[in-house]
Amino acid sequence: MTVARGCVALALLLLGALSPAAARDIHYGAVVDPAVVACDRSHWRGEIESSRLCYANLLRDDVPAATKAEAAWALNNLQQANEWFRAALAAAPDDYRSKVRWGDLFAASHQDAEAMNIYREVLEEEPGNAFALLGAARVLVDSFEDAANDYLEPLLMGVVPDAGAAIGAYLLVARVALESGNYDEADDALRRAADLVADGEWPPLEVYALRAALDLLRNTESGDWTDRALAYNPNFGGIYATPAHFYVITRRYREAIDLYQKAVDIEPELASAHENMGINLLRDNQVTRARMHLERAYQLDPFSPRSVNSLRLLDSFSNFRLIEDRPTLDGDVPIILRLHKDEADVIAPYAIDLTRDSIEVFTERYGFALREPVIIEMYPDHDDFAVRTAGMPGLGILGATFGYLLAMDSPSGRTPQEFQWGSVLWHELAHVFTLKATDHLVPRWYSEGISVFEEWRSGPNPGVRIPMSVYNAMREDRFLPVADLDEGFMRPSYPEQVIVSYMQAGLVCDFIDRRYGEPKLREMLEAFRDGLDTEQALRAVFGREPVEFDEEFDAFVAAEFGEFLEQLDRWAHLQAQISSKLDSGDWLAVLELSGELIELMPHYTEPDSPYLAIARAHDELDQRDAALGALETFWRTGGYDPTALKRLADWLVEDGQPDMAIEVLQSVNLVDPLDADLHGRLGDLLLDDGRAEAALQEYEIALALEPHDMATTWYRLASAEHALGNKQQAEDYLLQALDVAPNFRPAQRLLLELASGTNRT
Amino acid sequence: MAAAPSLENDLRRLLIIAAMSCTPAIAGAGVHALVVEGLAGDPAYAEAFERQAGAIGAALRTLPDSDAVDLVRGDAATRQAILAKLEELQGTLTGADRFLLVLVGHGSYDDIEYKFNLPGPDVTGEEIVAALDALPARTQVLINTSSASGAIAELAAAEGRTVVLATRSGVERHATRFGGFFADALTDAAADTNKNERISVTEAFRYAERQVADYYERNGQLATEHPVIDGGQADRVALAQLGGAPAAVADAALAELIGQREGLNAEINELQLARDAMPADDYRSALLAKMLELARIEDAIEARQEELDDGR
Repeated sequence: MTVARGCVALALLLLGALSPAAARDIHYGAVVDPAVVACDRSHWRGEIESSRLCYANLLRDDVPAATKAEAAWALNNLQQANEWFRAALAAAPDDYRSKVRWGDLFAASHQDAEAMNIYREVLEEEPGNAFALLGAARVLVDSFEDAANDYLEPLLMGVVPDAGAAIGAYLLVARVALESGNYDEADDALRRAADLVADGEWPPLEVYALRAALDLLRNTESGDWTDRALAYNPNFGGIYATPAHFYVITRRYREAIDLYQKAVDIEPELASAHENMGINLLRDNQVTRARMHLERAYQLDPFSPRSVNSLRLLDSFSNFRLIEDRPTLDGDVPIILRLHKDEADVIAPYAIDLTRDSIEVFTERYGFALREPVIIEMYPDHDDFAVRTAGMPGLGILGATFGYLLAMDSPSGRTPQEFQWGSVLWHELAHVFTLKATDHLVPRWYSEGISVFEEWRSGPNPGVRIPMSVYNAMREDRFLPVADLDEGFMRPSYPEQVIVSYMQAGLVCDFIDRRYGEPKLREMLEAFRDGLDTEQALRAVFGREPVEFDEEFDAFVAAEFGEFLEQLDRWAHLQAQISSKLDSGDWLAVLELSGELIELMPHYTEPDSPYLAIARAHDELDQRDAALGALETFWRTGGYDPTALKRLADWLVEDGQPDMAIEVLQSVNLVDPLDADLHGRLGDLLLDDGRAEAALQEYEIALALEPHDMATTWYRLASAEHALGNKQQAEDYLLQALDVAPNFRPAQRLLLELASGTNRT
Repeated sequence: MAAAPSLENDLRRLLIIAAMSCTPAIAGAGVHALVVEGLAGDPAYAEAFERQAGAIGAALRTLPDSDAVDLVRGDAATRQAILAKLEELQGTLTGADRFLLVLVGHGSYDDIEYKFNLPGPDVTGEEIVAALDALPARTQVLINTSSASGAIAELAAAEGRTVVLATRSGVERHATRFGGFFADALTDAAADTNKNERISVTEAFRYAERQVADYYERNGQLATEHPVIDGGQADRVALAQLGGAPAAVADAALAELIGQREGLNAEINELQLARDAMPADDYRSALLAKMLELARIEDAIEARQEELDDGR
């Protein structure tokens, strides 16, 4: 996964989106009406027909409205349930038990805000309402609000004593702990929940399901939880769907699909399992099968935005083109691109080249050969990408990899100033290797670390790029122990922690490479593939205790950045001064101050890089050579601002350095490929350099962008075809150019040259 | 391998000749233009408007039949002065003249009335259109690059009048980028899509329209302006002659060659009109023959021009 700067809690969004949708789950005493509970107990035992009859009878009988509401809900008639709850509350506005259940109904139908309003209203009147506390905590946990703790604590600490609500609270704690990798905490919470379940004679099904998930995550078998659950209720799909969720969050999508299949096999009306299966089938590129399950999920739960969004996305696939690049060498795998038809011709050539390059680099470095086609999807609309990734819009990431399939924003999905699509693709392709080489067992931090490290070292725009916010975090000693680094991705505790964790992970891999050597990077992957966790892997690969490894890494960071970190305040002060001097046009001062910044940190190429200020100042002072030098350093150090690099290319051409100008413009292609003029300029330079094939590719891409000046575009294509000896094709292009511009002299000349069979130039 | 010829050099070398080889343009007694630079209200806009108005005025002066291009700016650009100037033109223009009114600046629209912002009282859309209606020139162009200019689209439409507006409606009230790109088009060879060395209203508009769309897309911003064009003569009215006005042709041989070229251009135009009724291969063969002939005539024109230049 690649993160956008400034995004918060990307992992959390994912987790939340993947949590199974709440249906009418076991209520542990939130409902006390004996008639409802009798039906429920039959239902929890898997007696489907008899429980349905039981609920249906309640709807026919002369029973309180709240009872009918529960029955309608159990029969999946949510709108009728809503009406009955309204009726119940109209008759008895202070029936807070029913009101909380009404809130639960809203939560079950994915209307969290409305549910939360109801819980708050109840708690204003009855601060100790245990199930209102539990309901609020569930909603907030699903949206990753820290405030969930405020609602949970009274239940867990016994301040609000209610055994049933405490069961729900412990199950919630267990789930969050499992998602965070805190397995001991989960174990403890499940033990407490199990005791209370036994005391209250509640169904142990959810405890069993989370126990099965814990075993899965620990790669152990502490009990026959599945058998026990199925013995209690042979139709309890949750026994598979709950562990499947944890396969998903540990990125073992195919295993998750298998479990979701089992879940819907025994509980065909489990909407959340159909939905999650559909979304994960999409991650495995099983589009037809995914659609089938998503449509079923929508039938069962039309209120779920994830199903609706995913189905809409599937409908939009008709606007995409599938492009397959077949392997030319033995051992290569096909590359399949799913690109929007409006930009497919522009992006495909570069994406294929980058992907082939990355496969070559990573295969050698990590000793793993891909076995299946790599599928790359790029979305011009970021929300489509977000839906593709998590089923919901609003995701703050740039790319995500699910195995052999990766999805990302396309170059038009973000502005060139904020998005190096080539580097993002490289980053995601590294994930393909780290995931597949470890059978998806690589921890999140290491997979991200390798991806960031490879971006810096071997990517299309190499160079260590660290945002200033991360340097600030370094100074404040906010790096986590390596063994805990996944926490920084999964449960960030401050706004910048995700990006800080990315950078820390990248630096850890850089440290391993420089301190222990590149082979150790591969050995770590092998350790993870063998099932070791981070602590075990550190001991096995480096012979170091995690604490010792952290100490060595800290020393590395101190040696690399210590002096700079001490000067961070000065850096900020100088930046402010430079900004002011740029505004006032005091170019000499800009040069002096920027020089001081470069002494502090020579590799800083973010948008406020001092190299850009220096280049501008020299240019204003008519010192072109110095300006060119500054921009060249900026580019070579990893700077990617497309405007600056296009200017650099112009200056290089003027300076008689077309070869370097070509390199610069080629790097701009990996940031800003939708600029037709860029391709024309680059093609001209390539053609002048005798690289007609490459020039032709650039001109074809320019044509795909339908530029304003079509005559020049066709003429350029003709020139390249002519250089390649393709007379007929050159003539065709020339006639197209002359058809719109009959008096276009360069085209006329080339036409005469073709006709005479001579070279007139 | 043959290197691609330099487009820039070609264009510069053939300015005079190519300037006369063009698709049929509207002939008339002359071009009269009034370019108005409105109130900026901000130094950055003042600088931008000054550049745009200056560039458009300069471009119009490059037209071979440019008779008068008036640029009104600063304190002189009042409602009274502009309306007076337009009234004065009622007596000087003829029906065969072409008249262009260019408004560069800010506009406003209060859901009832459009106003172009000027020092002192603003001039309203109705006043502008009424003044244009009163002019005898049958061919008119109104270019309004201001915010909210789309408010006058319906009002300004008239037979023989081409209307270019920076926004599609009056509710697009943010300051526009269109004017800057439109001004750029008048000196950029890339805007000249048919390579006849003239920038037509259509060419300038399409160039600027594209640049506006690219600007918002590349900056990740919601587009707050959508330029519009109306009028059937937009591709036949020139706004700029690239490289300046051509010299008169005194040499008889050169004049004959140019005449041949004009005749061939007309034949090509007819061939293109008949395209849909022809088999594709036949069209291609015919086009190829004509284009080769035209290219050879251009060669001859170029050679003769060089002889004349050497003789000087």
